[in-house]
Amino acid sequence: MKRVLVTIACIVLGIAVVAGVGAVAAISGEEPKAIVAKQVGTMQTPDGEKPHYELHLDVYPNSSAAVPPPRAGSPIQADLLSGQPFYHPSTSIQVPANSVVTIHFTQYDSGGQIYNPYFAKVHGTMDGTMTWNGKKVSEIKPSEVGHTFTVHQYPESTQPYLFLSVPLPMNAGNAKTNSDGYPVDPQKISVTFVTGEAGTYVWNCEFPCGDLYQEFGGPMQARGWMAGTFEVVA
Amino acid sequence: MTTTTTAPPNATVFGAEVPQPPQHGKPGGIMRHLNFGTGLLAGIVGAVAAGWITAALTPTSASNATFAPTEPEYVYLAVLIGWVVGFMLGMGAFVGPVRWLLGRDITHADAEYMAGKDLGFRRYFKFTTDHKVVGIQYLVVTLVIFALGGTLAMLIRTELGVTWAELFAPTFYNTIIGTHGIAMVIAMIVVISGPVGNFIVPMMIGARDMAFPRLNALSLWLLVAAVVCLISSMFVGGIQDGWSVYYPLAAQAPPGMLGYQMTIIVFAISTGVASVNLMTTILTMRAKGMTWSRTPILVFGVFAASLMGLYAFPFYQYSQILALTDRIWDTVFFNPVQGGSVWLYENLFWLLGHPEVYVILIPSMALALEIMPVFLRRPLFSFNFAVAGIIGVVALSGLVWAHHMYMTGWAPAVNYPFMLSTEMISIPVGFLVLVAIGTFWRSTVWTRLPLMAIYAVVFNKMIGGVTGIYLSDVPADQYFHGSMFVVAHFHYMLMGAGLFGAMGGIAFYFPKMTGRILDERWGSIGLWTAFVGFQITFGSMFVAGLQGQPRRVLQFDDMFNISNWLSTIGAYVIGLGMLIFLAAIIFSWRSGDVASSNPWGSKSLEWQTATPVPLENFEVLPVVTERPYNYGVPDPYEQRMKSLDGDLGPDTRLESDDKAGVP
Repeated sequence: MKRVLVTIACIVLGIAVVAGVGAVAAISGEEPKAIVAKQVGTMQTPDGEKPHYELHLDVYPNSSAAVPPPRAGSPIQADLLSGQPFYHPSTSIQVPANSVVTIHFTQYDSGGQIYNPYFAKVHGTMDGTMTWNGKKVSEIKPSEVGHTFTVHQYPESTQPYLFLSVPLPMNAGNAKTNSDGYPVDPQKISVTFVTGEAGTYVWNCEFPCGDLYQEFGGPMQARGWMAGTFEVVA
Repeated sequence: MTTTTTAPPNATVFGAEVPQPPQHGKPGGIMRHLNFGTGLLAGIVGAVAAGWITAALTPTSASNATFAPTEPEYVYLAVLIGWVVGFMLGMGAFVGPVRWLLGRDITHADAEYMAGKDLGFRRYFKFTTDHKVVGIQYLVVTLVIFALGGTLAMLIRTELGVTWAELFAPTFYNTIIGTHGIAMVIAMIVVISGPVGNFIVPMMIGARDMAFPRLNALSLWLLVAAVVCLISSMFVGGIQDGWSVYYPLAAQAPPGMLGYQMTIIVFAISTGVASVNLMTTILTMRAKGMTWSRTPILVFGVFAASLMGLYAFPFYQYSQILALTDRIWDTVFFNPVQGGSVWLYENLFWLLGHPEVYVILIPSMALALEIMPVFLRRPLFSFNFAVAGIIGVVALSGLVWAHHMYMTGWAPAVNYPFMLSTEMISIPVGFLVLVAIGTFWRSTVWTRLPLMAIYAVVFNKMIGGVTGIYLSDVPADQYFHGSMFVVAHFHYMLMGAGLFGAMGGIAFYFPKMTGRILDERWGSIGLWTAFVGFQITFGSMFVAGLQGQPRRVLQFDDMFNISNWLSTIGAYVIGLGMLIFLAAIIFSWRSGDVASSNPWGSKSLEWQTATPVPLENFEVLPVVTERPYNYGVPDPYEQRMKSLDGDLGPDTRLESDDKAGVP
C-alpha cells in the first residue's frame, strides 16, 4: 500500500511540476489582449455588399509616460525591449470573415531605406492602393519606409489565402515633436481589404527596425512589439 | 580557531606502515567546513558581486558591432563566471591545489576524510572523493537534469498537441526546445558513464578507487555548476535556436545564449576531466590477471566513450569559446554579417555533435552486453566481435560529422565520402547488435527487470539504426532532413537506446549501489509504460515526418494534427512511465528488499565484494584468472572445494535471493 501511495505521490508531483511550469510560462508569455474590428456599416465590393469594419493601430518609436510599453514576458525582456518601437494598442488583431475591413494606421516613428523594395509597395488591398495623408498611392519611396504591416499566409492547406502588406511611410528626423517626443503631425495611412473564410495568420513588420542585431532582433521577433497574430473569425 | 601542526605516526594502510607528512589541524582541514551549502552561498555571492562590479564599470549605452547593447551581455557573463568560480571555491575544489602550493601534503587521515569516511549522509553533499559517492551523486544529478529536460518535453508536446494551440509565446517555445535539447544531451552523455562509470567500473576492474579521486569530484561539481548556468539562461531570454545554435541565429539571440556557451565550456571541462580519469583508471589500475581479453565489455564501452569524448568535446568547447568572443568582443569567427563563417561553426559543432551520439550509444550497448550474459547464463556471443565493434565505432566516429551538413551547401563534393563513412559505421554498430542477438540465441532466459530493459534497447536500437541509414543517404536526406522524421530517428537512438539502457543499468546495479533490490513490479510497470508511450510518440512522429511536417516550427498544417495528437498522448504516457519508475527507485532505495552482495549471481568483480561496499572496495585486491562471462563453465575452485568437503562455507544467501529465484 505504501508503494502505491509513493507511486501516486510521484505521479501527482510530476504532473503538478509540469503543469505549474507550464502555467507560469503560459501566463508570462500571454498574447496581448486582441483588438476587435468594429462594424461601421456596409460597403459595396465586386462580390456584392459586405459588412464594413474598422480598427485603429498606432506605431510608436518607443514608450513614454503617455504610451506605456507592451507587456513583456519577464523583467529581462522588458529591459531588452525598452526604447524599441511597437504597435499599439495590441498586436493581436481580430477581424470578421467575409467582410470589408479598414485599418487606420498612425505612424509616429522615423525610418529609412528598406532592403527589399517589394515591401515598399501595397499588396492585397481592395484596389491595390492605400490612403496616405489623404492621397491614394500604390507604393512609396523605398528610402522613406518607417515600418510595414505584413500579414502572411501561413502554410496551411485548409486556410483561405490572405496576404496583405502595407508600407508605413517614415516621419522626417527633424519633424516637430510633442512633449513625449512623438511627431505632432504623424503619418496617417488607411487600407481597405476583403477577408475570406475564417483563418489564423501571423503578421510582422518587414522593415528592420529592431535596433538590435542588424536591426532585425528584439522587437522584430517579439509578439506585442513588431509581430503578432491576425485572426479572421466567422 | 587554533591550528596545530603535528608529525603523526606512520599510518597503517592495508597492513603496511606508511610514513605520513605533518598533519595540519584536524583531518580534512578546511574541507570540514565546506559543502554544497557553502558552495551555493559562495556561488551566489560571486555571481552578485561580479555582476554588480561589471554593471558599475560598463556604460549603459554601449553596443556591439551588430547594434546589440553590450551591458546586459557583460553583466550576465560576469554573473556566470562569478557563479562558477564562487561555487567551486565554496565546494572546496581549489583546496587541494592550494595545499599543494603551500607544500602541505595530504595525510592518510585527510584522504579518508575527503573520501567521506564516517561522514554518513553528509558525504553526498561534499567534495567527496570516494568513487562510489561520486557515482551516487552523478546518478542524482542526472535524474535532476532528466527531470528538467522531461518537464520541458512535456511542455513541448503539449504545445504541439494540435496546431495553433499557442499556449506559450513563440519565443518561449523556442527556448524550451533549445533548453530541452541541450539538457537531455548532457544527461544522456553522463547517465551511464557518470553513475555506472564511477561507481561500478573501478570495482569491475578490481581497483580501490579512481586514478584521480579529486578530479572525480571536480568533474561532478563542475557538472552541477554548468547545469545552473543552463537553467539561468531561461531567465535571460533563453536559448531560442535549438541545441545546435547555428549562426546567424545565435548572434541574433538574447543574452541567454551566453548561458548556453558557459554551460558547454564548463561541461566540456567536466567531461574532459572525467574522461582522463576513467581512461587512466582503466589503463593502469586493472587487477592482476585482468588482461584485455578478461576485461568486461562494459569497461571497453566506458573507455571508448571517454576516448571519443576526450577528442570530440574540445571542438565543441572551442566553438562556444569563439562564439562567446564574437558576442562579447566583436571577434569575427562565425558572424556572417561581419565576414565570419557559419560553416566553420557548423564543422566545429558537428565534430562533437556526431561522435557524441556514440558517446551515448556505446556505453548503453556495452551495458546491454554486460547484463545479457548474467541473465542468459551463458558467455557473451563472440566477445572479440563486440570489442571489434566498439573499436570500429571509435575509429569511424570522427569521420562522419559532415552528414549533418549535406544540405548546408558546404563542400558538396565531400557529401559522398561522408555518406560512405556514415553507412560504414553501421557495420561495427551492427556487430554489437549481432552479438546481442547471438547471445540471446538458444539461451536460457532469466527475465528480470534489467533484461527487460535490454529487450527495449535492442528493439529501439534497430528502428533507430535502420532509419538512420536513410538519413545518411544524400538523396534521401534531401527529403527527410528538415522534417520530423529526423526528430523521431534521433530520439530512437538517444532516448530509445540510451535511456532505456540506462534504466536497465540502474535496475541491474541498484543492489550494489544501494544495498536493496529495485522493486521489480513497479519498475517493470514503469519501464513498459514508458516503452509503449515511446513507440506511440515517435512512431507517430515518423509518420508526420514522412508526410512532410517540418521540424523546429510552432505551427503546422492541419493535416499533421492526428500524428501530433498521438505523439502528445504518447509523451504523456512516457512521462507517466518515468514517474512510476522514479517512484520505484525512491521507495526501493528507502525500504526495498535487502540485497545480498551478488543477487544476480554475476561473475564479474564488482559483485564479488560486500554490500554495502567498503570504503576500499576490496579487503584484498582480487586476481583474475578467467574471462568474465564463463557462465556454464565449471568453476575449478568450486569443483575442488566440493570434492574436498562438499561445502563452500557459510551460507550467504538471503531471503531476497530465493524470492528472486537466483540460481
